[in-house]
Amino acid sequence: MGTHRESVVGAFEEFRQEIDEHHDRRERLIKISRDATNLSKKVIFLLHRTMIEESNNDSNPSLRVVRRGREKLREVQALYAQIRLEVQAERFWLYHRAVSPGLQEYIEALGFAHYLEHGTMVSYEQVQLSLSDENGIPYFTLPKEDYLLGLSDVTGELMRFAISGIAQKGGRARAREVCAFVRQCKAGKSVSLTIVCKDFERFTPYVKELSKKQAVTSQSLEKIEDAVYAIVVRGSEYDIPPDMLDDLIAQSISTFSSTTNAKSRLGQRDVRSGDDYDDEI
Amino acid sequence: MDSCDVERLNELLEQDVELREKIKDQVTDLDKKTRNMVGVLNKIHSTSPESIPGLIDSVRPMLHSCQTTSAAMAALIPPSQFWRWKEMWTNSLRTAIFSAALVEFLATGKLISLPEVCQILGIKDEWKGRFALPVEDYLHGLISLVNELSRLAVNAVTLGNFEAPIQISIFVKDLFAGFSMLNLKNDTLRRRFDSLKYDLKKIEEVVYDVSLRKLAPPPQGGRQI
Repeated sequence: MGTHRESVVGAFEEFRQEIDEHHDRRERLIKISRDATNLSKKVIFLLHRTMIEESNNDSNPSLRVVRRGREKLREVQALYAQIRLEVQAERFWLYHRAVSPGLQEYIEALGFAHYLEHGTMVSYEQVQLSLSDENGIPYFTLPKEDYLLGLSDVTGELMRFAISGIAQKGGRARAREVCAFVRQCKAGKSVSLTIVCKDFERFTPYVKELSKKQAVTSQSLEKIEDAVYAIVVRGSEYDIPPDMLDDLIAQSISTFSSTTNAKSRLGQRDVRSGDDYDDEI
Repeated sequence: MDSCDVERLNELLEQDVELREKIKDQVTDLDKKTRNMVGVLNKIHSTSPESIPGLIDSVRPMLHSCQTTSAAMAALIPPSQFWRWKEMWTNSLRTAIFSAALVEFLATGKLISLPEVCQILGIKDEWKGRFALPVEDYLHGLISLVNELSRLAVNAVTLGNFEAPIQISIFVKDLFAGFSMLNLKNDTLRRRFDSLKYDLKKIEEVVYDVSLRKLAPPPQGGRQI
């Protein structure tokens, strides 16, 4: 019987090695995924912030802003290039849950930048291509579920973008554009999401996440719609072209800001440019 | 969002749904097989030692019938997507592993190895990435085996088999020594491992009762430490 124990212990020694390796790799991937999340969040804030700053002195600021955002996004892409070997072949799905949150945040940042630049939603192929090496070979196959979940978050960013820019030059026209766009996204996505929900009925966390995100999208859309409504109603009171209205507002803002004391303005700026304020929806 | 983009995406998602349905059919099939096996294996608690070999022989063909399910799964699952779908059959597969391990113990008194389980269930190495037998599931199967053996220790005594508890005790202690070597995280495996000590205790008590009353000869090969 002594030999039996030896053979059992021998086998378990191998298992220990395998299990340890698995846990270590998982930990590493979770860490990297967290880094990817943080970097992506910073990119989103950067985009919001610079859009507001730049739109005051330029008629078409998006390109410069997006270029800065894309530079930052390259750091996230480098992270995914780094884990390429860790998630090779069947291992990707083994660690999918560790990688998925960071991936979604990255897609959100990329999608937002893409919208600012092109006015369209980033396609699945474009995201996949951004996660590929210079020869176009993907680091891993991007799950369609993560793509959809990432896109859901973009609509939230767009809502914030539309509303915070509403008082700026061209902001009202932009808000209406965003409104139409988000509406279209929501319709297209809800079809896909029902399929995904059906598909993932066994994984309750997924379903919860999906329906939650879809609810948030609806909420965002409603907020934009309300804002656009207000613009239309109030705009109708004055029978002047929107460009003139823009100038009128810009004028009153500049006279207002020159009279307010510099100290409080400084304080406001600080809050706006802080990187770590909370993600509020 | 481009409408043709949405179309294509939806098509791909629909394909996943179809695949899930097909896998589900196989899992239902596997479930049926494992339920039957467990049903037959339950009789070990009321079967005299002489009739055990006959009982085992009736389970073996059922175990082998799992091979067709394994092959069907391997054919269904796309390359590298094993872990994506695995959760669907984890429970059924663990029951099959448990059955194989119990049969091996009853037949030879030994612990079935991971490659042996693969062989019995017809899981081939070259299917790696599509269908395989992860260590974790094997270990879960073994814990179920210990749970079952602690019951068997009691019931064997009732049937007048006083040596079985001692044999079981040695086997389970070996297994426990193996499990103690693992660095387990706070997952289900860890929790189930933690419960093993109660099974161990139960078996110890039976061995104690039997030895105290000199119903069984002392274990050969001297004392087990």
